Amino acid sequence: MRTRLPDLVAIVAGVTALPWGLEAQAPVREHGAPTARTTYSPSDSAWHALNRLAYGPRPGDVQRVAAGGVLRWIDQQLDFRAIDDDYLGERQRDFALLDYDRGDLTRLYAEADRERQERLRTGDTTAAKPDDGPAGQRSRRFAGQLQQLALVRAVVSERQLFEVMVDFWTNHFNVYFAKGPDRALTPDYIEHTIRRHAMGRFEDLLIATAKSPAMLFYLDNWQSVAPGATPPPPMRIEMRPLFGRLPAAIPPPRDPATMDSLRERAQRRAPQGLNENYARELLELHTLGVDGGYTQQDVIAVARVFTGWSIRRPQQDGAFEFHEWAHDDGEKTVLGVMFPAGHGRDEGIRLLKLLAQHPATMHHVSRQLCQRFVNDDPPDGCVDDAVAAWRRSGGEIREVLRAIFHGPDFWSTANVGAKVKTPLEFVVSAARALEAEPDTTPRLAQLVARLGEPLYLHVAPDGYPEREDAWVNSGALLDRMNTAVALAAGKLGGIAAPSAPGAVPDSALDHEQLLANIDEQILGGRMSENTRQVIRHQLSDVNDPRAARAFAVGLAIGGPEFQRR
Amino acid sequence: MTISRRVFVKAGGLALVSFGLDPLFLARAAFAGEASRVSGGRRVLVCLFQRGAVDGLNMIVPHGDPTYYRERPRIAVPQADVVDLDGYFGLHPRLAMLKPLWDNKSLAAIHAIGSPDATRSHFDAQDYLESGTPGVKTTSDGWLNRYCQHDQEHQDTPFRAVAFGPQLPRILAGTAPSLAIDDLQAFGLRGPQPVARDRLTRAFEELYAASATGLVSTSSREAFDAVRLLTQVDPARHQPAPGVEYPRGRFGRAMLQIAQLIKADVGLELAFADVSGWDTHVNQGAGEGQLAARLAEFGQALAAFAQDLGEGMRDVVVLTMSEFGRTVRENGNAGTDHGHATAMLVLGGPVEGGRVLGKWPGLDARERFEGRDVAVTTDFRDLFAEILARHLGGRELGAVFPGFTPDPRRFPGAIRV
Repeated sequence: MRTRLPDLVAIVAGVTALPWGLEAQAPVREHGAPTARTTYSPSDSAWHALNRLAYGPRPGDVQRVAAGGVLRWIDQQLDFRAIDDDYLGERQRDFALLDYDRGDLTRLYAEADRERQERLRTGDTTAAKPDDGPAGQRSRRFAGQLQQLALVRAVVSERQLFEVMVDFWTNHFNVYFAKGPDRALTPDYIEHTIRRHAMGRFEDLLIATAKSPAMLFYLDNWQSVAPGATPPPPMRIEMRPLFGRLPAAIPPPRDPATMDSLRERAQRRAPQGLNENYARELLELHTLGVDGGYTQQDVIAVARVFTGWSIRRPQQDGAFEFHEWAHDDGEKTVLGVMFPAGHGRDEGIRLLKLLAQHPATMHHVSRQLCQRFVNDDPPDGCVDDAVAAWRRSGGEIREVLRAIFHGPDFWSTANVGAKVKTPLEFVVSAARALEAEPDTTPRLAQLVARLGEPLYLHVAPDGYPEREDAWVNSGALLDRMNTAVALAAGKLGGIAAPSAPGAVPDSALDHEQLLANIDEQILGGRMSENTRQVIRHQLSDVNDPRAARAFAVGLAIGGPEFQRR
Repeated sequence: MTISRRVFVKAGGLALVSFGLDPLFLARAAFAGEASRVSGGRRVLVCLFQRGAVDGLNMIVPHGDPTYYRERPRIAVPQADVVDLDGYFGLHPRLAMLKPLWDNKSLAAIHAIGSPDATRSHFDAQDYLESGTPGVKTTSDGWLNRYCQHDQEHQDTPFRAVAFGPQLPRILAGTAPSLAIDDLQAFGLRGPQPVARDRLTRAFEELYAASATGLVSTSSREAFDAVRLLTQVDPARHQPAPGVEYPRGRFGRAMLQIAQLIKADVGLELAFADVSGWDTHVNQGAGEGQLAARLAEFGQALAAFAQDLGEGMRDVVVLTMSEFGRTVRENGNAGTDHGHATAMLVLGGPVEGGRVLGKWPGLDARERFEGRDVAVTTDFRDLFAEILARHLGGRELGAVFPGFTPDPRRFPGAIRV
């Protein structure tokens, strides 16, 4: 039985539309919050929303959101452009990576490759690492900046829901940063494909990813050509699928015989057929889902539709380019829909629109969103609400999210605290809880990697799973405890923890006051009696207030309550 | 016979019937003879997952088949470079270090092995290989974990089942305790001195013992048990035998640490490690190149492991697996696309080696799966069941592979009886 939200919350929330929920019975023990509670206060709702739409509360956030109204805060987060985010803008100026466009980066990586090959050619082994030339060093620094930038944004941005959605789509449309030129293409992909459309229309996002050089390279579509198609004569010698080499690496052609052999070699390396990789993942992961009712014949037809969707050589800028000569312009049938002969790039767009509006896609993507925001095993009702909003709005991501956040499942006690934080969520929420700010070095990003999910480095196209069993394990839990202790003691590199965060001052407090502060500011009032006793006992012989605070905060952040959201 | 409640729920009606007419009992009776030889040293199974679908045809090369060369003009391993095994199959040249193991009969290969499910999706196929239930996606645990659930003789140690890597793989997911260890040396709480470390460990253990729920609770319990034991035995003191060189990198390090755990005698029965980089859609290479470099690291790690354990290999079987193979014909990018059957290796003292096992379907277009891939003639569950039964003495194999009846007559014959 569901009961309506207590009137008090509605009044405080300051809206007439009530969210469902807040059952009166005790939560289910296996999934629920550690503390059994039968009533919900506005600050409980605020704590829940801040743990789902945001990367956890900073000190004072719960009170602020509760006072202003949880639903109003949710609407503000959905209308993210109106949120002032100047401070993030200021922090982003520390990231030189953002001053480089895709062309700059592809040239930089080509230069780094040339340096490496030059060293290999001359047998120079003085460099300790293969990337130790000036361009190589810079490209390595940028790689670290790309990861760390995601951390900084997640920690300091006021547009928290937007940053959460960027992470969600980055996973959904996963690319693998370390695959060749994707090192140079991923920053542009994040800035201009994912971030531009993260809260827009799904269809626009889908088309943008399909045209993105990072995806075209990652899933090999850039070199998928109609069987038998050959590049026009002027392209033949230039057609060099091996990336990262400047023409200087080939000796200049001298005589007709050399020219012939070069041409032959170039042709041999040139793409000569269909590559199904993107077509399959587009259907299985990006849109319909693995049970979406497509066949191997559909995969092949989709691959044919996308023949010719390619990119310029990375030395130029790796931009999207449609190769007419590579396109299979015969008739195709996808999911029973006929794509008549004689079409070019336009039929790819037509197909993407078809897929974006397909019921299987709505269901597949909605289900993943409910998994992210509600429960690892998303309730059917949540998925149905999201699908209905998708249908109604034509795939406006914001409206789908709104439906999820206003649905009864989002607020059900069984789902509050039901998610275990991912490595990224754990690190970011810990930093936020302590008002500690990551610097521009990649050290915090390396920590996320050590906890099991390095950013932009999931090699398979499915992205990191949304289910806890993918990241909860004994080794990673021990690492979280170590991280918490180091962070609280101010000994974690790459992050500046204020010596005495406003919420948990370290001096002149007795241990009971310290425990009360930690419960309120870090654990959202969910500290279990056992945790209280264990920390109290551990503090009993600690007299230095600063050491006591560090110890207690470390135990709280490394402890079981803080692992959930 | 102990069966966890969970399996009853999953197996539904079948499990209920089993009270009366017990298929598990029948299976157990059938394997009683197989299991009897297990005694003495603790048997170990090391599972290595070549994640990404290794090209079985360039790993164990059918160099005696002209079709192989016809279909792969750019990426076939030249006959002169293949390390011949039996006149028809041969090792990729960068696996040459495994030849002595073949010659002393401790290495066997199984070709044309794979899943009865036709999927060419990495994710589905990996899922099926790890769940042990091809075609069934709702299976929540992995087959190695189910083995642990049903053979409970070895549950006296937190190190019974260990996956090397930051995450517990699907194959070990389930109710039986298992560990994920990214790095043996860094496992546990850190503190400036042992006293501080022990105090932190105790404090966190108390926190998690009472307040954690669900998976966080079981994982933390396993963690603290393991920390205690590791402190006692210190496996790092077992350095590689003289002259043994593991390849640099994650995989070599995982193999080194598996060897250390075996030598430290902490009760390891199942070890698991991933080795990736096999999804060679583009510029796969032939005797040299992308795949060759991966195989070199892979082979070197296997050879180092066997040499390092030496006599200890008497009780160890290493099994390599991959979710599917790759197309017989090379694609337009001098690579190969997702296919069907692949090849797996079995290495160790108990192995009936020096043979390529399985029924070879040939590469003829008519014999291929859907006209393009090597057909599956051995269900991978037959090999896995054989190893569990004949090497580890596993009995309740019907429960380890629900919906499948392991039959010794179909075993490929990888383990000496």
